[in-house]
Amino acid sequence: MKRFMMKYFMINCRESTLLMAKKEEGRLSFMEKFNLALHISMCNFCRKFEKQMAKIKKESINISADDNLSQPSREKIIESLKKYNS
Amino acid sequence: MVDPTKWLELYGDLLFQYTLPRVNDREIAEDMVQETFLSALKGLAGFKEEASEKNWLFAILKNKIIDHYRKRATEDHFTSMPDLQNAQDEWFNEEGNWTFDRMPRDWQFSDNQVERKEIQKIIDWCKDHLKSVQQQVFTLKYMEDLDSIEICKVLNISSSNYWVIIHRARLQMRECVEKHWLNK
Repeated sequence: MKRFMMKYFMINCRESTLLMAKKEEGRLSFMEKFNLALHISMCNFCRKFEKQMAKIKKESINISADDNLSQPSREKIIESLKKYNS
Repeated sequence: MVDPTKWLELYGDLLFQYTLPRVNDREIAEDMVQETFLSALKGLAGFKEEASEKNWLFAILKNKIIDHYRKRATEDHFTSMPDLQNAQDEWFNEEGNWTFDRMPRDWQFSDNQVERKEIQKIIDWCKDHLKSVQQQVFTLKYMEDLDSIEICKVLNISSSNYWVIIHRARLQMRECVEKHWLNK
């Protein structure tokens, strides 16, 4: 019974972290969802991984630079817009 | 009312600040802002007043960013696809579980503005230090919010390669962010 459980329901951390990436896109089958939930419920490290990746995902979309356009590029833009209008 | 004479002043820096971390090249980012304005001028007739001018310019810019990646992919051909088989093995032992020294550790994080900005800087730095193909996939996925099907098309990679690359990019990114976050 234990061997049966291991074979059909237990995934390892490598598989679990891959399924998490697929889960973000809602691409898990019913079995995969179940396997992942079971693994995460028992694996503290994968739980951390999922939480931290969610954080990275949330912040990545907001990343922007602090720099501004350089003066030469501003002038170039003004010039090209003028050219377009004339 | 749409007023193109104010675009540079109102949106120039904003568009540039968005573009720079997504293309990693000042000159390309500056050119892209210019091309965004020019495309917008050409398409001025199609602009609907109910859309915001800013969102409209950003939509044009985002298309240009994706085009940039598409063009790069056809040039690169990804001839040097990194060793994809068992590429995740440095984090995991023979049973496929975390090795002792690469296990995720605890991050202390208090969602305030300062810390959010700080972690965004770290993510940006770590992203810059990913290998080329991982960096492209990470940027399109997490900074441009494309899905895997779109990314495979843009970068011209197979779906199975995509999942190996994104899996590895995620492992690499999390570890890098952790290292810098805990040592800041």
